[in-house]
Parts: sequence; C-alpha cells; structure tokens
Amino acid sequence: MAVFLIATYEYHLTKNIALFFNQEQQTISDVWKQDVIFNKAEQVHIVAPSGSGKTSLIHFLYGLRKDYEGSILYNNNNIKDFDAEKFAQWRQQHISIVFQDLRLFTEQTVLQNLEVKRVLAPYHTESKITDMAKRLGIESKLGKLCKTCSYGEQQRIAIIRSLLQPFDFLLLDEPFSHLDEANRMKAMELMNEEAAARNASIILADLKQIDYFKADRVLVV
Amino acid sequence: MPVSYKHIAPFFSAGQNRVSRWFSYIGLGVGVLLLLCSIQMYININHLLKDRNPKTDGFDYISVTKIITNENMAEDHSFSEAEIKELKGQSFISDATPLMANKFLVKATGGSALPFTTDLFLESIDNSFIDTIPADFTWREGQDVLPVIMASDYLELYNTVFAPSKDLPQFSAKSISAVMVQIECYAANGEVYIFKGHVVGLSDRINSVLVPPNFLDWANKKFGNSKKLNPARIFIKTKDANSPELLSFLQQKNYSINKDKSKFGRIKQVLQAIVSGLSGFGILVILLAMMLFSFYLQLMIARSKDNLQLLLTLGYSPKWLSRTVAKRWVPVYTIIVLSALAATMLFQYYFQHFAMKGREELSMIIHWSVAVVAMLLLALSILINYKMVSKLVHKL
Repeated sequence: MAVFLIATYEYHLTKNIALFFNQEQQTISDVWKQDVIFNKAEQVHIVAPSGSGKTSLIHFLYGLRKDYEGSILYNNNNIKDFDAEKFAQWRQQHISIVFQDLRLFTEQTVLQNLEVKRVLAPYHTESKITDMAKRLGIESKLGKLCKTCSYGEQQRIAIIRSLLQPFDFLLLDEPFSHLDEANRMKAMELMNEEAAARNASIILADLKQIDYFKADRVLVV
Repeated sequence: MPVSYKHIAPFFSAGQNRVSRWFSYIGLGVGVLLLLCSIQMYININHLLKDRNPKTDGFDYISVTKIITNENMAEDHSFSEAEIKELKGQSFISDATPLMANKFLVKATGGSALPFTTDLFLESIDNSFIDTIPADFTWREGQDVLPVIMASDYLELYNTVFAPSKDLPQFSAKSISAVMVQIECYAANGEVYIFKGHVVGLSDRINSVLVPPNFLDWANKKFGNSKKLNPARIFIKTKDANSPELLSFLQQKNYSINKDKSKFGRIKQVLQAIVSGLSGFGILVILLAMMLFSFYLQLMIARSKDNLQLLLTLGYSPKWLSRTVAKRWVPVYTIIVLSALAATMLFQYYFQHFAMKGREELSMIIHWSVAVVAMLLLALSILINYKMVSKLVHKL
C-alpha cells in the first residue's frame, strides 16, 4: 500500500506498502499491500483489531516510523524523503494527530500543553482553548498539572491539542478509548466541526466501527 | 504572538546544574580576561621597548662576531662568504658587510709634537655603513696621506685616560683633524712603510680605526703574510636591533652582538614569551570553560530529552529549537565578554597610570585589536554554543 497526497491534498499508499512484520495477516487487508488514496475532506474510518498494525499505520502516515515497504506519498512527495525541517513544517501546517498513547507533557499544566501547540502555528486564539475545554468538560483542569488528570481527561486534552493548528488531515488513533459515550460524542462533534472548517479529512483508526463517525469510507485492516 | 523561548522554557529542566553552569561562566570570563590582558600587555611591551636606540636613518647598525668560548678558542672565528650571504639573506637584516682588518703589523707614533708610540689596528668597511663620510676619506695608490675615521669613544679615552697619564695634549673633535700621526706599516720582510695618518672624521657608530677600503686591500696584499682574509666582524643593518627574530637567529648561530643595543630586545623576548604563555593559558581556560559548558548542555538536554522529542514530534523545527535555545545564552556571553573587556580597560588604565607613572608612549585606553579579539571571542562563543546545542538537538 502507498498513501499519497497530491496538490489537492491526498495520501497515496502505493500498492506494495506493507509492514515488515506480520505479512500473512496483511493479505486480507484493505490497506496493506493495496493501493490506497486518502483525499482531502474525505472522512475515512480504519477498523482494525489489536495487532493488525493500526497504530503502525498511523505512525507511518505521521512520518514517525519508516520501517515499511512501499511508499507513502503526500502531494506526490515521498514522505520518506522529508528531512527534519520539512517534517516540522508539514506537521505544523498539514497534519495533526491524536496519539493512542496521548504524548502529553505530564509535568506541565494542561494550558501549557495546549498553548505550546497553539503558538507554533496559531489557527485559533487563546480564548478558543477555554471554549473547547468548556465543551469537553475539562475547563477546570486548565491550570492543573497534566499528570494529575485522569486518562479520560488527558485524552480530551490531546484531542483539543490536535485542533489548535491548521491541518488537511487529522489522524486519530483510538481517540475515545477512555471516554464515556456522552464525551465521545461531544469530542467527535468538535472534531467534525473543526475538520469541516478547514475542509480537512479525518482518518480515524479504532478497534471497532464507531457509529457516530460518519465515514465516507471504511477500511478494514 | 510569534513563538519564542518563553513558550518552551517550562519544558527544560535546567535548575539542578547551577554549579557547573556558573563555573563555566566564571571560567569563560577569566579565560577571556587573561587572553585580552595578555594581548594588551604584548602591545604595551612592544610600545615600551621600541626605539630605545638612536637611529640616524631608521636603521640600527650592529657589529656581529662569533662567540669565543673556552672550548672553541683555538678555532677560526672569521666569517666565510657563505655565512655573510646567509646573514644578508635574512628578512630582518637589511644589509650586512664585513669589517676587514689589517693582516700586518701597524704602529702609530705622534712624532715630536706627540711623543708616543703604540701598536695599532686598522679596519675598513663599506662606506655606506659609516655615519659620517668626509669628502677626503679617499686614498689612491702612491698617496702618503692616509685618511682615518676614528671612533669618538677612542678620542674620549685618549683625552681622559691616555693624554693625562703621558702628559700629552688633549684635543677637541675639531682640532683632532689638524693632527698628523705617523702610521707605520711593517711588511713581512721587515720593510717599513710610513703614511701620514690624518683623522678626517669621528664615528659614533663604529668602534674602530677606519681607513678607506682600497687602502686596506692594497696594504694587506702588499704587507700581509696571511692568506686568510676572512673578516672576523660583520656589520649588519637592521630595522630593529631588538627584534626577537634577529635575536633568536643570532643566538641560534652562536653569534654575539653589542649587548647594549639589544638588551631591550632580550627583555622584550623574555616578556613576550611570558605574555604569550599567559595567552596560551587564557585560551586553555576558555577551552576548559567551553567543555564544562558543553557537559552542562548535554546534561540539560539529556534531562529534557523526552520533552524535546515531543516538541519535535508536535512540529517544532530542530533548527528553530536549536537557535532559540542557543540564543538564550547570547546575553550571558555578551555580559561575560564585555565585562572581561571592561576589566582589561581598567587594568590598562591602572597599568599606565600607576605602574608606569603615566608614561606617554603608553596609551591609557586599550588597543583596538584587543576590542576586536573580544568581539571575535564573543562571536566564536555564540557560534560554538549554537553548534553544540544544534548537534545535541539533532541527535534526539
């Protein structure tokens, strides 16, 4: 499989993209060893059981790992060829992410965690952080150290952080695993709004299909 | 509001290592101060020990001989053609010429007016090396009047020591020219040739009794019994008798020169060596301080490694991160180097004012090159710091 994004912003995963490991399982996949294109503004749901390489795929798409065969093209440029500066610029302007393991600065406050992302490529004003925190019910946590927040709260912090920058693709790796139904829906609604405002695509990877994510396409890994 | 260090500052854990950070700052300050003071002292020494000898035409004229020691007493101490050529070839020697000496017996007598007889020596040198050349300092074969240029010191010795002890008349510099002395040249076969010696001038530069070169050539051939005509003294013409290059060359060749003329040079040589050593020490201290600072940086970045990695993952550019982190120390380095420069200025002021009692040849303010070196050191510290941070960030 190869993913690529061209001038209209798309990821193109070329046909032979595959994990270096677990090759047998990949033979029945919609993604591995397939030619896949993600277009901008398209909502894609990737459903994958544990161990099928879901997180690996998200990391490949974000350029964190390079241990795959095939190519991932963004606007026809192979992201394996990006240097550190190009990745930085790309992650500031085009790609945003919610990691499965969240990756927050646990020793800093919630607000510092959000502000450090917002100031990098300001898309929203500072007050928008409070608005979003209020919508997801973590407003009271903004001044608290991140490590004192529950995992569910931290998940919402990571979601807000991903929405503070410009992007064409929002990559989500099990973003709701520790949220209750009501909070999941609120978070999904917020993300849909933000993606729509940017005419951006959401690529959501989860263990099972999420009903309230209105996907244009569902790919089973 | 553009992103700045303020936004990422909380993600660095810098606090724990204050001691090594402050040691590196102090080390850098001391090193820079040592280096700047050494450069200023080097310049001071050059100013203080310059032009101590009167120069008539911007050159020093010095007589060079070979050092005679107990071990080499029996050897030949004359200069060969090659050795003279080698002297001439040195960049710090403008010219060199041999002082030719008589190779036969010479005596001087004063006749009836000056009843004395003395053994004498005669030397000749290229006219361009003599400070005052009277028009009549020439000799042609067959001429019995022999013009002589005598060292002024000899006249002084004659007037103050020789004349009173022998009850002879004393002469002024002018009246000496009126005196005719008989110069007797003894040939190898015992024949005596007598010339009328006429002191036509006095020389402050050359301690000798000089006769025209063509006379000595002729006389050595006519009366001399020695085939060896190599000179034992060479006169050199140099821009600076105190130049360390000249002194070390002469030292290396085992040549001796008039100590008076070069004594400042020798002092200068020693002082400059001390000051150069001090600059070397200053550079070493700076290097050690930079090394200590690099350890501090490594520790700081290692401690903040996870945070820095996450910043890069979130889209912070490594170049921006390195530059922004490194920039944090620009004011620190600027303060350190400018303080060292200010201390050097103060040192120079006190040195000139108190240690040197306000000597005019020394400036109260530092030499411009010291300020330039300070600025270069500042730029270098900032650059090295940036390179160190950048290397560490890119390694993440």
